[in-house]
Amino acid sequence: MTQTPLQSAPWRDDDPARRIGWSPAGPGTTLGEFQRRIVAWQALLDDLAAPGAHWLLHERDPLTFAAALIALWERGDSALLPADDRPETLAGVDRLTRARLGDVPGGHRPDASRDKAGEAPRWGHFDPERRALSLYTSGSTGAPQRLDKRFRQLDAELATHRTLWPLAGDVTISQVSHQHIYGLLFAILRPLCEAAPLAETTCRYLETLHAWLGALVPAERARLISAPPPLERLPESLDWAAVGDRLSAVYSSGAPLPAEAGARVRRLLGAPVREVYGSSETGGIAWRDQHDGDAWHPLPGIGVRDDGEQRLWLRSPFLETADWQRQADRIEPLADGRFRLLGRTDRIAKVGGKRVSLTAMDRALAADPRVRRASTLTLPRHATRLGAIVQLDAADLPRDHATRRALVASLRRQLTAAFETTVIPRYWRFVAAWPTNAQGKLSAERIERLFRDLHDRRQPRWLGVETPAPDECRIALEVPERLAYLDGHFPDHPVVPGVVLVQWACDLAREHLGLSAPFTGMERVKFPLLLLPGERVTLSLALAAHDDHQRLMFAFDGARGCHASGRARFALEEVP
Amino acid sequence: MTTELERELKQLIIDTLELEDVTPEDIDPDEPLFVEGLGLDSIDALELGLALQKTYGIQLQADSDDTRRHFANLRTLATLVEERRVK
Repeated sequence: MTQTPLQSAPWRDDDPARRIGWSPAGPGTTLGEFQRRIVAWQALLDDLAAPGAHWLLHERDPLTFAAALIALWERGDSALLPADDRPETLAGVDRLTRARLGDVPGGHRPDASRDKAGEAPRWGHFDPERRALSLYTSGSTGAPQRLDKRFRQLDAELATHRTLWPLAGDVTISQVSHQHIYGLLFAILRPLCEAAPLAETTCRYLETLHAWLGALVPAERARLISAPPPLERLPESLDWAAVGDRLSAVYSSGAPLPAEAGARVRRLLGAPVREVYGSSETGGIAWRDQHDGDAWHPLPGIGVRDDGEQRLWLRSPFLETADWQRQADRIEPLADGRFRLLGRTDRIAKVGGKRVSLTAMDRALAADPRVRRASTLTLPRHATRLGAIVQLDAADLPRDHATRRALVASLRRQLTAAFETTVIPRYWRFVAAWPTNAQGKLSAERIERLFRDLHDRRQPRWLGVETPAPDECRIALEVPERLAYLDGHFPDHPVVPGVVLVQWACDLAREHLGLSAPFTGMERVKFPLLLLPGERVTLSLALAAHDDHQRLMFAFDGARGCHASGRARFALEEVP
Repeated sequence: MTTELERELKQLIIDTLELEDVTPEDIDPDEPLFVEGLGLDSIDALELGLALQKTYGIQLQADSDDTRRHFANLRTLATLVEERRVK
């Protein structure tokens, strides 16, 4: 192949019967149907603006997203991909774009009734220096930053991946968001450029993945584009052996995959697990398969070296410039050209006028045998003191005020040997699972969520959520000792009032289960045990639709037993 | 035996310093507030000084021996407030 991937543009082929989409339920979208969707998008865009516009684009389904992106690129436009579809995120980028496209409030989408059969899409030219898109960093350090990518940069990276891991007709199944660079390249652009099918919807649940692999016909093979959060949670309980030979490779990016999780994925799914190291700014830098060791191979064409401080310097065709650029990670180069990743350069914070290495504090905390992982951090709204997120085994988690206080005291005591009192964390969050976002990162948004109860005293302390199915979740909570609602219920014996628990269940269902309909009543609500300040509970939520209402089942369970359970009723969701 | 003022001061300390893992019952009136005991430090002393000024109108000289004596424990703090409060 001599053409670059984007130049080869196989979506322009005159081959209407070729399958471009894959669906577990049916034959999947053909190239002819895909081209008609491009026609429809282009007609819509023509109504809105002259070519050369910059559009906000958000579409959850990969194939719908792909049709919109190709339509606007071919027309001569570029896209801005917001990191997520939260109202604040979208409002923040509206001023940069002509209009919203896709599945967001106010988003334009083609009108199906206007489908004009027989019309052909307009194909354009991808000038290598033209801006293809703007996207956002995942915000693991501070606020997300906007980055522009030219066609030249995307093309260089797609060509590298194609040489290293040609798709060879495999179906691409994605578990990650294509609003970020990794998902965009691996889950959308690679299959499009290599004329290989892509699953039409994102595979959000591991049970779904199992079913989809089972739905592939025997001759079909798939590649899984994933990330540490789903891979670390691959359930042993499903019969993976029955579908194990259907995957030819698993890809993971966003954060390092723990070695034992990688080995388990390889064993259960029967495919090599290839991790890609990089960032939104740099694109891909290196890859590894931990089955062959923990060192990283630089991607072909990428220059990697270190300096006297072990800092990584990078020269890459995926970057805006051809110079060597210094990165925040530290590396140890090996004789065979590979390198070991040593972690970030020390993070330094200033607390009460004193400088402290957060990296050293993390290491000191992790030295405690109970601590699986720890991260000390500065909190934007409480900058005078440090916070700490500490992951413990379930058995070591505090269950009430006394055990939490004893745990904090023992961790503080260990830190006093090496740190001044002032810099020792004051706000502690103990979690059972590392609270990453969908990209596997402890993002600024997750950190804000974990510490929100500090400035909103009506809130429980939120310590992580598990979502095993779309309508179910389990949330770890603690009752803050300074909760506003404790006041004045029973003097000297503060408890959380029952009505507050029902309110929390409804609020958290809105946050995690996408519930937005009005509350209409409750039934079978019981409060068998008082809930006290400092107690830790798991809130289980399950939402079910009935003929004329929705029912939310909730239960608060702690170490002493069930504190509250019942059902809340809501109206049916309004179809937008 | 905890007085009403002592109870009020405990809550003032917890709220001013955003102590998450401390309830009023955890503060022993005779135990040192700083370093050992509650584990407070010089920044906390400054914040507490400001809170006393705001709530009770008490002016304290930062970093004087006098101030350090008043801040020894909850009882000495309560005595200070009783003697010098103007609000």
